[in-house]
Amino acid sequence: MTTDNSASRVDTIGNLIDPKLKPFIKLPESPSGKPHLIGSKCSSCGEYFFPKRAVCPNCLKDEKPEDMLLGNKGKLYTYCIVKAAPLGFDAPYAIGYVDIPEGLRIFSPLTECDKGKIKIGMDLELIVDKIREDETGQAVYGYKFKPVSL
Amino acid sequence: MRTVYIIGVGMTKFGRFPESNVIELGRTAALNALRDAGINKKDIQVAYAGHARTGQLYNRECGVGQSILWELGISGIPISSVGNFCSSGSTALREAWMAVGTGMYDVAFAIGVEKLTGRAGKGRPLTSDGVELLTVMGFSPPIYFGNVATRHMADYGTTPEQCAMVAVKNRKNAGPNPRCQYKDPITIEEVLNSPVIVEPLTLLNCCPTTDGSAAAILCSKEVVSRYTSKPIEIAASALRSGPYKKCKDITTFGSDRMSALDAYETAGIGPEDIDFAEVHDCFTIAEIIHYEDFGFCKKGEGGRFVEEGMADMGGKLPVSPSGGLMSRGHPIGATGLAQVAEAVWQLRGVAENQVEGAKVAFTHCAGGFQDTIELGDVQSSAVTILKRGW
Ligand SMILES: [Zn+2]
Repeated sequence: MTTDNSASRVDTIGNLIDPKLKPFIKLPESPSGKPHLIGSKCSSCGEYFFPKRAVCPNCLKDEKPEDMLLGNKGKLYTYCIVKAAPLGFDAPYAIGYVDIPEGLRIFSPLTECDKGKIKIGMDLELIVDKIREDETGQAVYGYKFKPVSL
Repeated sequence: MRTVYIIGVGMTKFGRFPESNVIELGRTAALNALRDAGINKKDIQVAYAGHARTGQLYNRECGVGQSILWELGISGIPISSVGNFCSSGSTALREAWMAVGTGMYDVAFAIGVEKLTGRAGKGRPLTSDGVELLTVMGFSPPIYFGNVATRHMADYGTTPEQCAMVAVKNRKNAGPNPRCQYKDPITIEEVLNSPVIVEPLTLLNCCPTTDGSAAAILCSKEVVSRYTSKPIEIAASALRSGPYKKCKDITTFGSDRMSALDAYETAGIGPEDIDFAEVHDCFTIAEIIHYEDFGFCKKGEGGRFVEEGMADMGGKLPVSPSGGLMSRGHPIGATGLAQVAEAVWQLRGVAENQVEGAKVAFTHCAGGFQDTIELGDVQSSAVTILKRGW
């Protein structure tokens, strides 16, 4: 992903994203662009949601909160390092909860799993990367957060 | 609500029984409860069966209660299934308590059962129920509690050694209890040096994979004297689901705090009145947080609470004298009623690892996750307060 910047590469990644995660990820339109998470915002009370909601659960007034691109930066709230992985995942990997600018605390795999390099409160940025392999060994992509300093 | 009593409890041994099935396990626990109560099966008027994975694992989403009771010649009465994650058994008890407490029935049966050894993916963490979105991203319950542990350690200085002390204490408590899956004593070093599942949690910080069943028979104050002179009163049975809170604090469980407060209020007591507790120690860090959420100690002091021996037998408030989920194992739907059965034996004064003179017991079961990427709370929490009824 870092060596190949062609637009077709972006299309390929699009096809590799887990179908359950696809509605939540906006890939960059140009090779130099950044990915974003797609959430939603209630037009009545202004609340943000990720993943997007069908109805605003706060006020029940907006039955189709509008899609919004969320900030692609975050701060690490907590994490753990997985050594006994679920099927398809390659241990060790780190996974945690990230605070994003819209005031949401979200679950996310992390790129860095060296305990010495992970710190609560560290600045992170969103990337789209391989998260696991399916039953046939095919790479499945999703979103991850990566330390800004690396 | 009128006063409701427990007049009989039963359990199977908990462990790995690959040759067994859920009906056989449930039948054994239910029969033990009937014999313990000394009740004629014809007196049972309503029954609730708690189970959480029989649909996913054995294609038995419904009818587990009917099938168990069918084998014991109990049929025709209202029987229904109660699925509520790790609180399924406690929720079955609560349904039975409400059925009798409201005056609709005089005698009710609550059964909890689960068989987990048959599941695929042996050696990998059990996935949570109904969390497809989180699962594709690599979520599992140990991962949630690993995240809990990291933050609790960062905020309050809780240590891996203090977590290990929970496992050591609960294993020591299990020693005399023949129903526990694991009974051999372990050391802090053994816990710390066992294989890492999700850093900072090693294998011996996690409860094992287990099969088992437990049951309880409840009746009203009006009929209790027909069955026993030593009934156990259900002073409270509280249930909550996970509250949504933006940017939730992962080091405390909102559903647990609410269910405990509800239970204290209903029973008219506080944590200082409890003689012992059986809590949901699915992971050692969870038990440390339960001390805090239930008011056994102040927020952030759970690690010190176990380190200073407050939760030991003979301590300020013995926690999990039965051995807990850590040693007994956690057959999901059975756990809540196993805790209640162990608590009933304690209050009768006949437990193998007896808390001397115990009169008031607190039991707690919780679990389940909302399938959303936002940090969520545990989706079910049940607290039962039991008192000697004589
Ligand atoms: Zn709204």
